[in-house]
Amino acid sequence: MSIFEYNGSALVAMVGKNCFAIASDRRLGVQLQTVATDFQRIFKIHDKLFVGLSGLATDAQTLYQRLVFRHKLYQLREERDMKPETFASLVSAILYEKRFGPYFCQPVIAGLGDEDKPFICTMDSIGAKELAKDFVVAGTASESLYGACESMFKPDMEPEELFETISQALLSSVDRDCLSGWGGHVYVVTPTEVTERILKGRMD
Amino acid sequence: MESVFGLVGADFALVVADSSAVHSILVHKSNEDKIMVLDSHKLLGASGESGDRAQFTEYIQKNVALYQFRNGIPLTTAAAANFTRGELATALRKNPYSVNILMAGYDKGTGPSLYYIDYIASLHKVEKGAFGYGSYFSLAMMDRHYRKDMTVEEAVELVDKCIIEIRSRLVVAPPNFVIKIVDKDGAREYAWRESIKDTSVPTA
Amino acid sequence: MAKVEVDAPPKGGFSFDLCRRNDMLSKKGVKPPSYLKTGTTIVGLIFQDGVILGADTRATEGPIVADKNCEKIHYMAPNIYCCGAGTAADTEAVTDTISSQLKLHRYHTGRESRVVTALTLLKSHLFRYQGHVSAALVLGGVDVTGPHLHTIYPHGSTDTLPFATMGSGSLAAMAVFESKYHEGLSKDEGVKLVCEAICSGIFNDLGSGSNVDICVITKGQKEYLRNHLSPNPRTYVSSKGYTFTKKTEVLLTKITPLKKLVDVIEGGDAMEE
Repeated sequence: MSIFEYNGSALVAMVGKNCFAIASDRRLGVQLQTVATDFQRIFKIHDKLFVGLSGLATDAQTLYQRLVFRHKLYQLREERDMKPETFASLVSAILYEKRFGPYFCQPVIAGLGDEDKPFICTMDSIGAKELAKDFVVAGTASESLYGACESMFKPDMEPEELFETISQALLSSVDRDCLSGWGGHVYVVTPTEVTERILKGRMD
Repeated sequence: MESVFGLVGADFALVVADSSAVHSILVHKSNEDKIMVLDSHKLLGASGESGDRAQFTEYIQKNVALYQFRNGIPLTTAAAANFTRGELATALRKNPYSVNILMAGYDKGTGPSLYYIDYIASLHKVEKGAFGYGSYFSLAMMDRHYRKDMTVEEAVELVDKCIIEIRSRLVVAPPNFVIKIVDKDGAREYAWRESIKDTSVPTA
Repeated sequence: MAKVEVDAPPKGGFSFDLCRRNDMLSKKGVKPPSYLKTGTTIVGLIFQDGVILGADTRATEGPIVADKNCEKIHYMAPNIYCCGAGTAADTEAVTDTISSQLKLHRYHTGRESRVVTALTLLKSHLFRYQGHVSAALVLGGVDVTGPHLHTIYPHGSTDTLPFATMGSGSLAAMAVFESKYHEGLSKDEGVKLVCEAICSGIFNDLGSGSNVDICVITKGQKEYLRNHLSPNPRTYVSSKGYTFTKKTEVLLTKITPLKKLVDVIEGGDAMEE
């Protein structure tokens, strides 16, 4: 068993027209035993910047706390929010610092940058950035997510269609993964509002 | 083998633990209390290596007490759980404790709550949770019979069902259990479920 | 609380404080993760008035293609670029750190960076980590002493060559160079040969794929040709794409309107003291 499979997770982010969506599953398990079905893997850094942390739950929580801490220091020093690109570099640096004893986490970062240009990116557990124009995935269901997104995604979707696409990609992918699922959590972020939705999923 | 479980009822939370101190194939003791009364309104049920368990739970208890002395107000259950996770996560990177924790508490305003913290410091707020070999039975029983609005009597009835299941289905079932409860009136021992008594040692 | 631990920003360098815990976890039988690799074809050659570097654009994680169009030609200095193969995080981090050291060095000396300086910094960094920082590099540039091309291995050893290849596709690419390279290539011939070598990696090595990136460095100027060739375009997507007729079942919706930022008028009334 890989350490990434200890708790189980599925994460995906997609870019739309002047908006983005980020979604995760809701299961917290210990190997094959399900502990809870309302686990949070996507966190808000500021209004237009979200980070999802797949992999080992404890490291996701620790890493989130460190990221929030560093972002708050930045806000105090600079009196502004971090740009998504800057934040991605921060996450990458924090992860690479532990090159030889990593956090077992694969982050997904999604945000709106200058002029509300959407930005998405993912990394491996030692901070190798992977920027994408369309979608990024992570977690135990990543292989099925690659397949689903590759066929369902199309460029320049409006928020409503983006939500349907990301939800369907997520739900169909987690159905092919034992370790993730039990519902979904989707954030759709536009320049004017954040829509958070809880999805109903299979319970097996 | 070790069984710790707990649940949140209408206006209380309870934690149940077996009371066997086992080493290899030997049962050293069958009246070991594994649920610590953390402060007036908190319970800390722990399983894992007995040395680590005793050391760590006492460390948490004393620090929670110290906070109360210094600040004149007790930590909320959520704060105590997050503190415990923090300490466990810090220790994890140096000299890991192997303890799994269920923390139950009652706060004015928020009411009863139960927190699941495993030995690698994943924290999650749950309605019902379990650790150890007993979890396979107690989680299944609670999934079937649990309701949010249970009274103490109904909850204890469910607990007894779980204990019966563990005793009759688990090869290495512990003989005795202790049930502790926390509600608006405080944290206290509720009952023991003993199938064997420790024989008293005749004095020389 | 017991101790106040402020998680201050790190001073730099690696931190080993998770190693013990990860050791414990791997003793319990959990496998450590695999990292993003660039199972790569990277090449470089010297032509009559400079250096040409080339790379494919596939990033892999085990057998999965993680990125179909990543950048493997890294900036080192205005006159020096570096192709990276191996663990993606390592190639990225090592080129970034050395690139900033070179910039500081330029500020200090007021002169253009030399390729040997970059080479020495890179090899001493890699040697220090005894091959654990797994970056295999092709370093090329033109400085005051002329064009230079080097390869650097993860353990810190280096070669100086007129043409070089690295990564999992290095054999395929080297076959092309060995049969067609000669001294005094023109720019167009050089670019064509590099393209051919990378394409040979893309089509014959499974770890390499997608597009061809090229960087031509000559005295005083450079040309970064991102996706110079795209021999593998997507053709299978339908023009309409998917639409979903049945709505996804939603249990809960929460909409948070965002506050508009206030426009600050520059040079407005100054505040009273």
